[in-house]
Amino acid sequence: MKKTWRWPLAGFLLGGLLGATILTVNVVGASGPNAPPARVASFGEILHTPPLLVRVGKAVNLSFGVVCGIVGDNPGGRCTPRGAVLVRAAGEAGFRKLPLEPEPGGLLSAVVPASKASRGFDYYASIENGRGQSSMLPEAGSAAPQHVWPLETWTTVDVGAPRFGEFRPPSSVVAHFGWGRGDGAIGLDSGREQSRIGPSAFDVAPDGSIVVLDQVNHRLVRLRSGRKPAHLPIDFAGGEGDLAVGGDGTIYVLEISGQPLLRSFSPAGASISAGPLAEPVADMVRAGPSGPVVHAYPSEMWLPTGEGRPPLTATEQLRAAQPARSADGGLGVVVHASAAEVDLALVREDRVLRAWILRGPASFGEVQLAEPYGDGLVVVVRLWDERDAEFRVLHLVPGGVASSFTVAPGEWAEAASLSRFRLHGDTLYQLRSGRSGAAIATYEIGGKR
Amino acid sequence: MRPGLWTGLVGGLAVVLLAIGTPAGAYHTRFQSTCTSGYFNDNPVTRAEARNYAYVAAAEGYQWGGGCWNDNNWDDSPGDPTEDPYTNGEGPDCSGLTFKSWWERSETGDPWFRYHSAMQNTHGPYTAADFKYGTGAPNVTVAKANTVYMDAFASTYHVGMIYWANTAFNQDRIIEAKCEACGSGTWPRTYRGNPDYSGARRLYWAG
Repeated sequence: MKKTWRWPLAGFLLGGLLGATILTVNVVGASGPNAPPARVASFGEILHTPPLLVRVGKAVNLSFGVVCGIVGDNPGGRCTPRGAVLVRAAGEAGFRKLPLEPEPGGLLSAVVPASKASRGFDYYASIENGRGQSSMLPEAGSAAPQHVWPLETWTTVDVGAPRFGEFRPPSSVVAHFGWGRGDGAIGLDSGREQSRIGPSAFDVAPDGSIVVLDQVNHRLVRLRSGRKPAHLPIDFAGGEGDLAVGGDGTIYVLEISGQPLLRSFSPAGASISAGPLAEPVADMVRAGPSGPVVHAYPSEMWLPTGEGRPPLTATEQLRAAQPARSADGGLGVVVHASAAEVDLALVREDRVLRAWILRGPASFGEVQLAEPYGDGLVVVVRLWDERDAEFRVLHLVPGGVASSFTVAPGEWAEAASLSRFRLHGDTLYQLRSGRSGAAIATYEIGGKR
Repeated sequence: MRPGLWTGLVGGLAVVLLAIGTPAGAYHTRFQSTCTSGYFNDNPVTRAEARNYAYVAAAEGYQWGGGCWNDNNWDDSPGDPTEDPYTNGEGPDCSGLTFKSWWERSETGDPWFRYHSAMQNTHGPYTAADFKYGTGAPNVTVAKANTVYMDAFASTYHVGMIYWANTAFNQDRIIEAKCEACGSGTWPRTYRGNPDYSGARRLYWAG
């Protein structure tokens, strides 16, 4: 009797032991696909919106919020931030310290007097959080400070009442994709209790082809007139991103989930480089005259990441940060918007060349696009109320508005927050979406609707 | 080989792999096995404290129906299948993050404050749509134009709280649990002007 079950039982136990060993090695190993970075006590974050453009003769209020985080489930361990803002008026050699005073709502603020602000100024904040940690904003401090340009003259533009529902139809629809994974489709990431995320971004290449970031399907889609879409598989780790195509056709892809990362690809989709961004949050990548620039937070500065391989290091990015977005011809584009008005300027270094202030009866939303065009700008800005929204396209010239029209939002699925429009030549392109899929529509600039 | 040894070995291996390996493989990170149950009632609570609390979740993971996360700025369970609460991954979903960051209580008729440890695995009773419509004693709707930090913008499918209002391009930085591939973070968004979204507010902040 013993001989019939002893060896099968031993085999069963041995097999069980072997299986447990296999699972331990594989499953536990799989549970840590990448080792997390070592935990370090962090400052938290300084929050600030730079004023950027200020009317001459007005004092400037600089306000900062401080987020500390909660350590060790001790919500009472509040941070007690204090610090100063260091200001250098145009023409001065050194920075002068203005103490930050607490305001209701937990803000810290300092006022730059009108006499100091009238020619413009540089500034950065230095804040200690009461827990023995300190930080600067912008992070490079005096090496790359934030800047405020003085507005002596400007053109005021009344954009008029919104025209919700009275949208200009597109001149053409270059491409339409259904949702999905196939050759004629584009990816949609959606579900219950989750945003609907479609293609994040697109850009128009110098040769006129359109490159769409189909990040849900981990690929780029290149659209050429009269040809089938070409798919270029890429590495893309996060859920959302942005995209810009440089003057030489290089494709820059910004991953914004987690620690932002900028990748570059040849026009054929071959990987060129990848490098992390110096700041923890980013929303835009644009092709500047000297390579890609990324709009980053909390500084709201434009960080150059370099054309070369390898890309610039974090320290190099921070020390080369610019408050204006670099455009061709040595110009910079500066945008500061609120619900009440939108301030726009073309600058050259510390000098304002032209400025516009948009006003209207409706609330302004985000500025989707502001691109130099002729001797002015093409601007796309959202107008909204509690129930409706539209995008207003404005061709601004030195004397005011040359033309304007209204575009349907077409935002059923989310794209990168400021990457729904691109300007190429005289054509405005829009990435739009609906229940049935996503499309690239075009509008010709010029003429009133 | 001894008679029956081979048969027993194959049988034992098969039983262990099938009985333990299948579920283990499906839910491979098991992050939630490290969660805790720590909470306590608290009062008063300010918007600034709520933002400090929510900030801990930034750069952590997203888990549909989930509710616990650590503070290592890393998604410890990336790439889980979506819409499956049994993947046991790290992070909240959008409504769970709002519930915990607003220090709400699971009793929907009780409007007062309760601190939930980040590692406490709780989601709360509300969906994004509940926040959009002001469901529950602590929650109300508010005009989007009147929102301030740590109010929220809610649609029927997503909710995120205002981390810092009015950036230079006039977006709002939103603290939110976005999607499995996105994780949780503090991204600039345009929800304020999007008709899908309504303003939502938690009542009774102390400041």
